[in-house]
Amino acid sequence: MRRTTVVAAGAAIGLAATAALAGCSSTQHVGGSSGGSSTGASATGAHKPGGVVTISNEQGQTWSCAFNPFSPSYQLQSLGMIYEPLVYVDALDNQKETDMLATGYTWNADKTQITFTVRPGVTWSDGKPFTAADVAFTFNLLKQDPALDLYSLWSAAGLTSATASGNTAVLTFKQNAQTYFYNFADQVGIVPEHLWSEKSTFGGKSPDQWSDPTPVGTGPYEVNPCTANNIQYTANPHYWQPSEPAIQKVEYPAYLSNDPANNDLASGKDNWGNQFVPNIQSFYLSKSPSYHTWSPPVSNVALFPNLKQGATATLAVREAISYAIDRTKISDIGENGQEPPANQSGIITPTFSQYQDVANLQTSGYATTATSANTQKAESLLSGAGYSPAHPLNLTVISITGYTDWDADLAVMKSELAAIGINLTVDDETNGTYFSNLQNGTFQLAYYGETGGPTPYTELREELLSQNSAPIGQPASTNYERYSNPAVDSLLDQYATASAASQISIIQQVSDYMTKDLPIIPVVENVDWFQYDDQDIKGWPTASDPYAQPGPAIVPDMEQVLLHLYSASAQ
Amino acid sequence: MRFILRRVGMFVFTLWAALTLNFFIPRFMPGNPLQDLVARGRGKISAQAMADMLASFGYKQNENGFQQYFAYLGNMVTGNWGVSLTVAPGAPIRDMVLSALPWTLGLIGVTTILAFLAGTGIGIAAGWRRGGLVDSVLPTTFVITTALPYFVVGMLLIEVFSVTNHWLPNDYTYDYTIVPGFSPGFIGSILQHALLPAAALMITSVGGWILTMRNNMITTLAEDYIRMGRAKGLSNRKIMYGYAARNALLPNLSGFAMSLGFVLSGAVLVEWVFNYQGVGYLLLDAVDSADYPLMQALFLLYTVAVLVAILASDFLMLRLDPRARAKG
Amino acid sequence: MKFLRSLLHNRKAVAGLLILLLIVLMSYVPGLFTSNSNPDTLGQYDPQLPISTAHLLGTTGLGQDTYSLLVYGARQSLQIAVIAGFFATVLSVLVGVTAAYLGGVVDDLLSMLTNVVLIIPTFPLIVILAKYAGQSNTVMIAVLVATGWSYGANQLRAQALSLRNREFLESARVRGERRSYIICFEMLPTMSSLIVANFLGAALYSVGAAAGLQFLGLGDQSHDSWGQMLYWAQNREALEAGSPLWAIAPGVAIAVLGASFALINYAFDEIGNPALRPVRRKDLRAAAKAEKLRKEGTDHALVDAA
Repeated sequence: MRRTTVVAAGAAIGLAATAALAGCSSTQHVGGSSGGSSTGASATGAHKPGGVVTISNEQGQTWSCAFNPFSPSYQLQSLGMIYEPLVYVDALDNQKETDMLATGYTWNADKTQITFTVRPGVTWSDGKPFTAADVAFTFNLLKQDPALDLYSLWSAAGLTSATASGNTAVLTFKQNAQTYFYNFADQVGIVPEHLWSEKSTFGGKSPDQWSDPTPVGTGPYEVNPCTANNIQYTANPHYWQPSEPAIQKVEYPAYLSNDPANNDLASGKDNWGNQFVPNIQSFYLSKSPSYHTWSPPVSNVALFPNLKQGATATLAVREAISYAIDRTKISDIGENGQEPPANQSGIITPTFSQYQDVANLQTSGYATTATSANTQKAESLLSGAGYSPAHPLNLTVISITGYTDWDADLAVMKSELAAIGINLTVDDETNGTYFSNLQNGTFQLAYYGETGGPTPYTELREELLSQNSAPIGQPASTNYERYSNPAVDSLLDQYATASAASQISIIQQVSDYMTKDLPIIPVVENVDWFQYDDQDIKGWPTASDPYAQPGPAIVPDMEQVLLHLYSASAQ
Repeated sequence: MRFILRRVGMFVFTLWAALTLNFFIPRFMPGNPLQDLVARGRGKISAQAMADMLASFGYKQNENGFQQYFAYLGNMVTGNWGVSLTVAPGAPIRDMVLSALPWTLGLIGVTTILAFLAGTGIGIAAGWRRGGLVDSVLPTTFVITTALPYFVVGMLLIEVFSVTNHWLPNDYTYDYTIVPGFSPGFIGSILQHALLPAAALMITSVGGWILTMRNNMITTLAEDYIRMGRAKGLSNRKIMYGYAARNALLPNLSGFAMSLGFVLSGAVLVEWVFNYQGVGYLLLDAVDSADYPLMQALFLLYTVAVLVAILASDFLMLRLDPRARAKG
Repeated sequence: MKFLRSLLHNRKAVAGLLILLLIVLMSYVPGLFTSNSNPDTLGQYDPQLPISTAHLLGTTGLGQDTYSLLVYGARQSLQIAVIAGFFATVLSVLVGVTAAYLGGVVDDLLSMLTNVVLIIPTFPLIVILAKYAGQSNTVMIAVLVATGWSYGANQLRAQALSLRNREFLESARVRGERRSYIICFEMLPTMSSLIVANFLGAALYSVGAAAGLQFLGLGDQSHDSWGQMLYWAQNREALEAGSPLWAIAPGVAIAVLGASFALINYAFDEIGNPALRPVRRKDLRAAAKAEKLRKEGTDHALVDAA
């Protein structure tokens, strides 16, 4: 199973050839000489330095040792660890903000302009000081080279200028930009002007082509060294947070498939896991009392029905499907119980339970959590639409090759739907083809999970806002089922400027349309896969202290986790 | 001379056909690099930004197919393989291939040679001692082992040697905590990591060599010149090695050359099962994410390897076997 | 008839044929072996049950009965092998015999084609084709045929060339028979044993290649097959996570199917070339006696004659 949210890079560059000249007759271990030396900043009584974290995260590729934070393929290795954002936003803890390179910010009244105060005393890992000019430079770089502007800040978000004066940096937008805060404050890593402004740095290439093999950032780690098989990060001795990071070394081996990654996790070779471990109880948890897992749900995996054409445009058909599927069974078999069953309101529980309109979900007939199959109701709805086991409805659902848990989910649904008179055919397509069909609306049903965000608003907006849709045959950005409801649009538009309390009410009202119109049919909840070994390394995020998304594939959250970790034996 | 010209002509034509197939097949199939990148960004990342990036790497979505084709043929011949589009956007393909190549050559190449040597040796013994223990048990055993799928053997070896007992590593080319260099630890680590995949390859490939060698040996032993040798009172040893085995080996040599040629392209499953970072795995990656330039370069490499091996075996046969010389 | 008799006297052939018969029965009358007629359905039983009388090979991690899954998986694996083997052989015969019989430019062109296909690295090509053409058995068979015929064509061409000037063909030509008649009714029957051997070789190749593709997840996902079982077993860590037979059973089954083709094929070689047959004790004793009588050489007598 290949399931990673952001698929990173890989390929091998200059491996043994150059290194072979350096090493001679004795076997040297990577970073063996420098790893133990401390940062000298441990006087504050915080955790003493020491300890190694080894990540088990299947990428399907070897490392290409590229750290350009503006390449979607390489962000995973560099955002946070090397290049830090202005503000960290915790999606699991009600959007709690942690100041990173900014010490604070202020919006103007209509939220079209934001002023960041940058942190004093921060230096780049080459010793040069970090300033507000670096911030303005970074955003202007995205304008110069649009291939770097991954979140369309200068186009869709309406960014018009990025300037710096003294210790402040100002971003000005055409319209209210609050909904983009997460993108520009949390997802853009700030790069050093003194290197990135020099053409010679890129060796004749444009910045988007540049691999950035020896990155210079403000983050807690430096790359030392990187090979095709493994990236080793060592603590940055100049890091601005006193006595951080405590963990002196992070190993990030490249795994080509899940199998070896899981084996290394189970043998204790790796202590930070980020993937689906089948039968986790016997395969992993039972092997040591120090092995734990906590994979918090973050978004829905849902059936996206085509609302514009075919039988799925009929409400009764969608209702019948939602009643007929046993989400608990799908979760148990397809996901081994590790991705919990979803519910028709689309609100992820327990992560976002405070947004749930419990009363409405109860009266709608779709239970709050485990929805046991209501076959009779489904049958009568479907026969009302003109279908029955004798006259079955043929539907094809598209899914992605290699997503075997999804294949298993759909296999369970197939047998459940057959009972009420729907013949479900599963069509596995390659990632690219699948996504193109999804965007263009050329499907009957699609099994898919949106990316979600810090509140249910992000996912609901992705799924339901009519501007995110497009006519069949043209790419929709996120509203693939092509739902269009002016009432929902206006609710979603009010959200940005609403007070915190009425934001909850808006989300509840929007989710009521999920149970009324069934624009999509949530099945299970996507989780952030997370396994950890706390024998020596302590300080992991937990359900009671969800200070960051716990999986190492989520950046810049990975940096937050590493800043919280420490080695018990070093204390 | 005419023979050589024919062979070289054949070489060029085959190369052209292989390159052409590899250019058009992926392009006529659904999916393309842009779609793949957009899909990986889950629509969060602007499609225009991705298209711009691909264009700066030299891939233009809507360019005329034939123009692309001729430019491609030129680039393949001149070794200008370009940069990867999706597997490692922007990384030079030459570097990617060169760093994966030694692992495949080392593991699969060496194992193929060992399997050939061992298989030939056992085959000679079995053919010579007709009806001996070796001869009565081996053929049937090896008929079965040659039919075993490689990856099943690999999975079982991993289960026994790495999962149940932590005797040998099940993945990687070497222990990544060791700095590569000419040190005993590094070389030992490479050997240790190669042991299981090599064993699985041996188990499934040695049988073929044993069977053909045994059969060749038996056929050769019935020839008149062997009788002649015996009549002259030559020692058994001399007849076995100098007369029989030598001649029985000839037909196998070209098969051996072919299998050396297929070392690179036959490695896909080996590398997949053992997480071994060679060129076979690179191909799966490239195919997975529609990385056309990488796919093309690898395919070129695979085809050239086979062609070179065949040419080499042709010339070798010309030298070793007078009969072939007469025909040529 | 004589051929058939010698086939039935060959131990390897008999073993191979019996295995094949068993697999054919499994494929077309699965009800004989298991009462579970819908083994694909997930969650029928508790996952990872150990071996018991109810579940001869335990249950899979997805709650299926491993044994009935194995029985129902036979059909696809066998069909792909036989159909792909058949069409590849037909293509080999067409190309090989036509090239040899017509000669000249046609021969040059067809031989060129054969060599090109023989040299082009097949497995990577199959992976590319299977990946993009979607996961259907038709595509897989087409790919296996397109890549699997060339070896046989080369062999058949060689044999047909050696037949071309034989007397019985000459006489047919003198009788004024048409070319197609000569090829179909004079040449092909003579070549039948090589054609059958080719079919077995192509089928053996297809068993392995198809299983490899299915194992990589490039097979038909909607029908059960042995390669498919391996794919799922690997994805669910069957070996480590408590249902090892889920992976081992189909692996062994593929090997057994392959071995049956290989055994029959090998038997064909032995029948064609009696010298290759294993020496049995009974024969050995006779041989040893003969050797002694002829007083020729000492080595054969050294062979354990007890």
